[in-house]
Amino acid sequence: MSALSKLIAVETKLFLREPVSLFFVFALPIGLMLVFGLPQRAGTAADTGQHAEQTFLPSLALALTIGMLALFTLPMALGIYRERRILRRLATTPVQPALLLVAQVVVNLVMGVLGAVVTSIAVRFLLDQPAPANLPGFVLAFLLGVACLFAVGLLIAALAPSARAAQSIGPALFFPLLFLAGAWLPRDRMPGALAAVADYSPLGATVDTIGAAWAGADPELPQLIALAVTAAVAALGATRFFRWE
Amino acid sequence: MPVIEVDHLQKRYGEKVAVDDVSFTVEQGEIFGVLGPNGAGKTTTVECVQGLRRPDGGTVRVFGLDPVRDRTEVRQRVGAQLQESQLPDKVRVREALDLYRSFYRNRADIDELLTDLGLAEQRNTYFQKLSGGQKQRLSVALALVGRPEIAILDELTTGLDPQGRRDTWDLVERIRDRGVTVVLVTHFMEEAQRLCDRIAIIDKGRMVAIDSPAGLLARVGSEHRVHFRPAEPVEDALLLAAPDVTGVSRYGAEVTVTGTKDVLQSVLAVLNGRGTTYTDLRVEQPTLDDAFVALTGRGGRAAAQSPTDGRSS
Repeated sequence: MSALSKLIAVETKLFLREPVSLFFVFALPIGLMLVFGLPQRAGTAADTGQHAEQTFLPSLALALTIGMLALFTLPMALGIYRERRILRRLATTPVQPALLLVAQVVVNLVMGVLGAVVTSIAVRFLLDQPAPANLPGFVLAFLLGVACLFAVGLLIAALAPSARAAQSIGPALFFPLLFLAGAWLPRDRMPGALAAVADYSPLGATVDTIGAAWAGADPELPQLIALAVTAAVAALGATRFFRWE
Repeated sequence: MPVIEVDHLQKRYGEKVAVDDVSFTVEQGEIFGVLGPNGAGKTTTVECVQGLRRPDGGTVRVFGLDPVRDRTEVRQRVGAQLQESQLPDKVRVREALDLYRSFYRNRADIDELLTDLGLAEQRNTYFQKLSGGQKQRLSVALALVGRPEIAILDELTTGLDPQGRRDTWDLVERIRDRGVTVVLVTHFMEEAQRLCDRIAIIDKGRMVAIDSPAGLLARVGSEHRVHFRPAEPVEDALLLAAPDVTGVSRYGAEVTVTGTKDVLQSVLAVLNGRGTTYTDLRVEQPTLDDAFVALTGRGGRAAAQSPTDGRSS
């Protein structure tokens, strides 16, 4: 497995040399939380419902970290690898090009976990948010959210005709998903049908399940199942449609 | 001993026939050229040799192995440089070599390879900071890092300036001197003529000819041409009467005499015999360009365009 470990080492270096992805993972979620969280902390926010939940913003920040890696960084990197014929080039060596995809996913996952840890610690000290009360539930919700969003990201990588296309499809999907998660309009103020869809959308379900566990409750089972099913379907689609050149 | 055997290879993409009927063998230790215009099926042919594509008809054997079925073994022993293959912008030269090296069981010494390919000073340079020639040499280095027995080089000099092209040719000869069999895919005649021991000419998916460069030239019997500007008029008849001369034409003050191999001596004998002085004497030998036109019956310029503006498939 020395080829895979070398691939992971090189992909890690490449990730760390890209300031934009570092910013996405380590700075942007914390920045957003401070922008939205400080007024709330100061007691000036008149929000009720979803936005009044203390764990909403931290959960949203974590979901943002995963979502940006899964929907921005990953599909673009894979699109570039296909466009530059790097996958093709690997196919001429004794190593399977699929190993590069594995390495990419591993690196993005590790970065996602690191980003989540950094964000959680920042939340702990900047917003006086206590550590997750239901830790097993928190970890489960986080992992399912990661699986779901990464599978969607891989599906984008599989379907996008070019790196440039992947670069626009990611955000085009990300912002509606963010809306459905309740980032702007709280879900309790959405029309009933929309809110029902939003509850089971990838980011919506991720935010809710992480938030519930953070507050000490059990994540809703239907939402966990929705994440798992989306992950499985998107992953299947990605393997089915992925083009190597 | 043949290391590559291609027998009646056929490959279609949907309706389009990319390779119709191609057969050749490559002997150990030679530089074998696969030559043809853009879209002739050259790349598809070598991709079948590499096992990247499964032939629709015919057989391909590399070291007697099936490159699709025995892919891992064949890839251990065949290094490839792909046309227009790039690396990530921010990978360093040494990192890329170290990575590809880990894929093979026979591993070249990276420092030696870097020195050999003139990349020693760039070992810590990002891929995006390399010049076109340096990127090309790195691509060759990656093809050699597993100590292959065969190196397949596809459109190696496309996009390089003339100096870079000549440096790369020297490099190909050095690769062969290491005992590596080289398969060189090119649409650039001068390159094939200069480097190859034998050349397969492919046009529209079919083999047109396979021979040494000299053999190809002899086969079409191309004419040598002598150009000069005489100080005083010289009658055509006088030149035509000389041995080896087959034709005379004029363009302004310039006279062009065509003929067989020794036509230059004949022309000089005539001129010196009359005491006629001359300027701008040039001799044009037949080129593979001429052979290509004669063999394929199509305009050679399209096939032999400058390597900076072509990409082939």
